[in-house]
Amino acid sequence: MDKCLGIITALERDSNFGSLCKNRPSYMLPFGGRYRLIDFTISNMVNHNIRTIAVYTGEKIRSTMDHLGDGKPWDLNRRINGLFLYPPINDNHIGFRMGDIAQLYSTMEFFHRTREEYVFLSNPNIIAKLNIEEAFRHFISSGADMTLIYKEQSDPEGKLINCDKIHIRENGLFENLGVNLSTEEKFNHYIGMAFVKKNILIKIIKDSIENGNTSHFKDALILYKDKYIINSYEFKGHVETIRDLRSFYKANLNLLSKDISRELFFKGGAIYTKSKDEPSTLYTESSNVQNSLIANGCVIEGDVENSIVFRGVKIGKGAFVKNSVVMQKSIIEDNAIVVNAVLDKQTYIGKGVNIGGSAQAPYVVEKYQKIVKE
Amino acid sequence: MIGNKVVAMLLAGGQGSRLKALTSKIAKPAVPFGGKYRIIDFALSNATNSGISNIGILTQYKPYLLNTHIGIGSAWDYDRNIGGLRILPPFTSEEGGRWYTGTANAVYENIDYLDELEPQYVLILSGDHIYKMDYNELLDYHKKNKADVTIAVMEVPWDEAPRFGIINTDENKKIVEFEEKPPKPKNNMASMGIYMFNWKELKRYLKKDSKDKESEHDFGKNVLPKMLEDNKKMYAWNFDGYWKDVGTVRSYWEANMDLLDDKNTLNLYDKSWRIYTKNKNLPPQYIARGAVVNNSLVNEGCHIMGELNNSILFSEIVVEEGAVVNNSVVLSNCTIKAGAVINNAVILEDTTVEADAKIGEIGDKKIYLISGKKIWEE
Repeated sequence: MDKCLGIITALERDSNFGSLCKNRPSYMLPFGGRYRLIDFTISNMVNHNIRTIAVYTGEKIRSTMDHLGDGKPWDLNRRINGLFLYPPINDNHIGFRMGDIAQLYSTMEFFHRTREEYVFLSNPNIIAKLNIEEAFRHFISSGADMTLIYKEQSDPEGKLINCDKIHIRENGLFENLGVNLSTEEKFNHYIGMAFVKKNILIKIIKDSIENGNTSHFKDALILYKDKYIINSYEFKGHVETIRDLRSFYKANLNLLSKDISRELFFKGGAIYTKSKDEPSTLYTESSNVQNSLIANGCVIEGDVENSIVFRGVKIGKGAFVKNSVVMQKSIIEDNAIVVNAVLDKQTYIGKGVNIGGSAQAPYVVEKYQKIVKE
Repeated sequence: MIGNKVVAMLLAGGQGSRLKALTSKIAKPAVPFGGKYRIIDFALSNATNSGISNIGILTQYKPYLLNTHIGIGSAWDYDRNIGGLRILPPFTSEEGGRWYTGTANAVYENIDYLDELEPQYVLILSGDHIYKMDYNELLDYHKKNKADVTIAVMEVPWDEAPRFGIINTDENKKIVEFEEKPPKPKNNMASMGIYMFNWKELKRYLKKDSKDKESEHDFGKNVLPKMLEDNKKMYAWNFDGYWKDVGTVRSYWEANMDLLDDKNTLNLYDKSWRIYTKNKNLPPQYIARGAVVNNSLVNEGCHIMGELNNSILFSEIVVEEGAVVNNSVVLSNCTIKAGAVINNAVILEDTTVEADAKIGEIGDKKIYLISGKKIWEE
């Protein structure tokens, strides 16, 4: 895999996440008790021996800088290769006009300078523990210019509406890329991961800019599909696509399923993240915890059910937390009730306060927000 | 600031033979403690929290795991361009190889390390103790008294005093007498094995001591009494926080259990004085439906389906349905199979407790040390 660059591009619209993405890009959303979404993408790349990773950060980069830093938790603080962060430069007229293609173009020097001949692209809002090495071997042996990774999804309830729908010919070659409207029982979901020869990617970027006919990599796929050999590779594992508040909330609670958490947390190697040096979690005599994922550094004195509790959270006596995602260092005081809610970092729910949303639309408490009984 | 004026020398060669199987493969400072730490983490975290920028770790007994754990000291912010942490094992020279023969000898053998750093003070620490201490307070007291050496002492129960090195002082806390494990102590102020020395003075005495054929080259037995004989200015500094030297399996078990007592003064949740350790990159713990967790500490990667009462679980432990763990310390990577009932135990790493196994009784006064092969009672 030393022949392959890892490229992570932030593409998702953060406006679908309400206050959760007021100050952070969606790939930085806390996930699974102690991680950020992007940890899964970076760790999976590192665990499959990708040694050079570039992150196109988008504009709200403060939390990204704080979290990724020099890449130490992922062993990416290398003298050679390692982690490259590319915030956008929107000042020039190309950047202003043309989406992710322009961002990639602005770092052309990086593509020329690195020795790797291939590129693995990934969308950090989609979590899939792809065996990158195995998929890479398929890409190389097929002789294609590009391989797109997809998952066959059954979606009778329309939970995956607006996800990318890939059309594949019988011989596995790429035909087109659309959007799932859930009109069929099953569809092939393009999971934002692709292998591409570096020289082809450079050509696509330059051609797109020069011809002015597309601003987005996904559109370029459609535009140049006949010019290059583009095939596909099926991923058979679990996929989480985090594209709005609801899917974010669901993806967190899905980790309470043993099969899903085993796969996402352990398959192909550990997930690395910035460590916080929290002690173990203390469960007192009065606590009652059922079917929940609890991170370190918490003090649990109340009831917790079907919930994800992040590092350093305090839940007081007689408090009741159900179907909720409680982020880092939040405090839920005695006798408070929190149901179907997402509590952002360092929120405070005062004594006896009741908050609740529905399973479809969880109640969101903004970062640092304090809610107390009037 | 303590900064570059002080170099800490951390004695981490202890064998801890009374800890039985807990130290069969590792040195005592590497023994796991408190759910996610190793004993040495306390001294290392105290040092970094106190702002000490140079620390030498003197290793000798079975150092592999200790070396792996400490690495280049990144977990304690000791991977620095200038200064930082050095592991100092015994070495060979023109006169041949030699082991460290005593605590003072270990420091004597590394005089070159200290000379290069030219400290004003040398702080001797032990990697065997569990406590939180700001060494700046000790240094300030040392400076205020213009002392040659200051020894940290703490009050111990009278009946335990004969196990310790007891220190007798005058009313100004100036040391007048040492009593090593006295059968009838005059005092209950015990030495904690933490010494602040003026480096020039210490160097002179280490050199002198190295030439003394009768000496055991130990700080407590030889160097400090010698300095007292010579009327050096020696003071005792009182420490009143939590401090524990876990000598036996029972005291190890008790020290862990102390963490579950809400009156305990070793607050691991205090963010202003964190205890750092090597990160294992494990996911959160999962508490299943039907599980019962009472007054227990649980660490990352655990999967709890059974019942825990007053217990401390390290990482990646599976407690199956119907299994009950009472008043016990379970080290990493253990599996407690369905229906097993365990009381008052210390379970070593990688142990599987078979289904329906019964160990101990509630209220039973014994402590059980359990490995995959054997059970020791104490």
